[in-house]
Amino acid sequence: MRKWIRSTAAVLMSLGLAGMASAGSITVYTALEEEEIADYIAAANKAMPDLEINVLRLSTGKLGARLLAEAGNPQADVIWGWAVTAMMDPRILEMLEPYQAKGSEVLPAAFRDPEGRWFAPTGYMGAFCVNTDRLRQKNLPMPKSWKDLEDPAFKGEILMPDPNSSGTGYLHVVALLQTLGEEEGWAQLKRIDPNIAQYTSSGSKPCKAARAGEYTVGISLAFTALKSIEAGYPLAMVFPEGGVGYELEASGLMKSSDNKKDAKRFLDWTMSPEAVALYGKFKALVTVPGVKPSEAAVKAGLPADVSTVLAKIDFAESARRQTEIKKKWKELFGR
Amino acid sequence: MSRAVAGAPFRRLAVDGDRLLAAVCLGVPTLGLMVFFLYPMVIVFLRSITEADGGYGLANYAEVLGTRGFWRATRHSMEMGAATTAISVFLGFIIAHGLHRCAFRGKSLIRAAIVLPLLAPSLVQGLGLIFLLGRNGLVNRFMGTDLDIYGFWGLLIANTLYALPQAVMIIGAALVLSDARTYEAAEVLGASPWRQFRDITLPAARFGILNAAFVTFIITITDFGNAAVIGGDYSVLATEIYSQVIGQMNFNLGAVVGIMLLLPTVVAYYIERQASKRQEGQGGGAAVPFVPAPAPARDLPMGALSFLIAAAIALVIGIVVYASFVKLWPYRFELTFKHYAITLAGGYSSLWTTIYISLIAATGGTALVFLLGLGLRRAPAALARPIQMLAVMPAAVPGMVLGLAYILTFNSTATPLYLLYGTAALIAAVNFYHYHTQAFLTVMTGFRQLPAALEEAAGSLGAGLGRIAAGVIAPYLAPMLVSAFFFLFMRSMVTLSAVVFLTTPKLTVASVTIMRLDDAGLTSQAAAFSTCVMLVVAAALLGMKLLMRRFGRAGRATGTG
Repeated sequence: MRKWIRSTAAVLMSLGLAGMASAGSITVYTALEEEEIADYIAAANKAMPDLEINVLRLSTGKLGARLLAEAGNPQADVIWGWAVTAMMDPRILEMLEPYQAKGSEVLPAAFRDPEGRWFAPTGYMGAFCVNTDRLRQKNLPMPKSWKDLEDPAFKGEILMPDPNSSGTGYLHVVALLQTLGEEEGWAQLKRIDPNIAQYTSSGSKPCKAARAGEYTVGISLAFTALKSIEAGYPLAMVFPEGGVGYELEASGLMKSSDNKKDAKRFLDWTMSPEAVALYGKFKALVTVPGVKPSEAAVKAGLPADVSTVLAKIDFAESARRQTEIKKKWKELFGR
Repeated sequence: MSRAVAGAPFRRLAVDGDRLLAAVCLGVPTLGLMVFFLYPMVIVFLRSITEADGGYGLANYAEVLGTRGFWRATRHSMEMGAATTAISVFLGFIIAHGLHRCAFRGKSLIRAAIVLPLLAPSLVQGLGLIFLLGRNGLVNRFMGTDLDIYGFWGLLIANTLYALPQAVMIIGAALVLSDARTYEAAEVLGASPWRQFRDITLPAARFGILNAAFVTFIITITDFGNAAVIGGDYSVLATEIYSQVIGQMNFNLGAVVGIMLLLPTVVAYYIERQASKRQEGQGGGAAVPFVPAPAPARDLPMGALSFLIAAAIALVIGIVVYASFVKLWPYRFELTFKHYAITLAGGYSSLWTTIYISLIAATGGTALVFLLGLGLRRAPAALARPIQMLAVMPAAVPGMVLGLAYILTFNSTATPLYLLYGTAALIAAVNFYHYHTQAFLTVMTGFRQLPAALEEAAGSLGAGLGRIAAGVIAPYLAPMLVSAFFFLFMRSMVTLSAVVFLTTPKLTVASVTIMRLDDAGLTSQAAAFSTCVMLVVAAALLGMKLLMRRFGRAGRATGTG
């Protein structure tokens, strides 16, 4: 039945009606950033000229919704660079086939699934985006830690993503709970709550609002901060003392893929020395041993060894306790 | 209700052909509604009652209804819906009345400004408001004020901007057709202008006003984009759905809220029906088009208000267009074209695909709602009522829910509908059905005023339904059909919430490109791309308008009167 449908679909496609994968091609779903995707794909095309790689990029949350909605008949061959906290959802793990990509064995055990369903050579970090113009105007001290944000002078000047709708929001909450301990973590969130102007639904919005001068501090992502600084916004990127939250970008093979050979080739490529070298250019966080962050990143305030600012995160626990933590957050801070 | 013409025996054949045609008129659009709206929504409903263990039950409803957040969001949504509706319908009536019943110059400027929120990608409206009224916006900076729009007031402004053009469209449909002779008679009888307004204009517009109120309320409670950008902490039902579906990957709980959103819609529609029951067959005979005579006491304030509203809208959109030429808003105001060099893979290509998809959605959609209106006129009430209900429901479904429902429906190999998955046709379909309510109500407002005498006269002259529809009804309804067509075209060009789940690596649309640019932090490029979209849509509208004017003239020459 499915074969019949596929062939009819191919006919439709040749009529210009459909856009589906044909032989020698794979479909990749990813939440990586557009700019890096373009570079990676260009390199991958060079390394594997016979392979057509179709990429669909969506933000982490939308990708999850789409993957689950498509679960009955998955369209992707590969999930590439997607938040590991989302990847560890049992419904997603069920869709993945264990595959040990060539080269992934160099990754420390914390960065791959013991059953081989995913591996994560890169990640992204949280950060405070501080508008230096507005900071000066309002005569506020540069915040260096979560504790600094308790200062009543910051009242109404801070934005934070709502962990219930944003993975970035959850990443920050988890970092606090895991570094400070459960009780003190919640207490810390409670102390800054009066200063938070809005809990936003998007993870990058706090940084975008801060760079536009709407607010002073946006609790957000290092990536957005770096991009904004590069574009010339009066922004400083701050990693809060005591450990900043981060997320791993995991990749895996879909069980349902009907082109596993090529899907595996692509996954192997993502661990090739060539790909890993590119990670150094774009990523603040590379888990492949021995890769240093890019020059631009260092200039924007990234330490040469990021592990010195990262919180110690237990991702398995963070994924397992999601529902409970998000619920508690909503009870305490939902507006 | 049936208006079938009682004819002589030798016309029996034609009459039967009429019946068949009427059945097709009703059947085809209804089938479309069932496949592309009802069936996906049944799947959403099933999801809403699917429990964690896979069985069916009401646990999801219990869970959602048991949270404080849900009730808070419900209260907020109702308040916001009521406030937006009151303001939009009031202002919408002023503008529609100004456009159709007053005499002042520059109406085309108002018409142009008023459609801007419909042809602007949602990002533009949000950005425009923040650039103007944000904490670091122009108003605060130059007036030294300390306005904070995030929250209720900002959301109210944003929702009103979005709802107003739709209110004007639907109220306009009720005001554009009016019989000058009624007013002449009133004049002769010595009725004051206020009396004429109260006793002729308002009653005639009632159906339009009620429909506009219904639409405004529904689209306000289902809109997510504005709430996310400018609503601040003011949680509404649409943000609750987002947090469940996108934030927590829990479609089933989101589906519960999606289904709950249908309830106020049913109630609102019921109220609207009850209230408009008393208006039937307003139109009388072949109308002599009403041409408003200048009346300064009425025209000056009406005109001034209309211009003021139009200027405010133009400002919100215009500032984003301006910002797209600025080096780094709001820090470096040197002018530049650099944001127009789109760095995203694919560049401007999605723009052309979107035009093609939008034309399909608008053409097919307008034809379908016209047929539906025609079919409903001849259908028995027992059949017409549920179909009408179904036809006005789509607006009550948030785009996100509809988009995911389409995946669940059309990505299943269990039915041949799977052939549509990943095609431009399916995107055109989701665009049309997402905006079905507005197009349908605009055309229905026209049908409401169609003088029965006109049809009967044509019928007694021996014209079959086909000829009546093409030769009498369609020309009479032309203004509403044109509005519905343009409305569907504009929305298809820019809508994002449902489409984002249906694009594929090879088939993407303009609004998704804008979202990707914004996701990548390239807000200025997103504004530049949006400006191009608006330009293309405006050019397309203008072109189509010229084309129609030419055809319209030809049509009138061949003599429909």
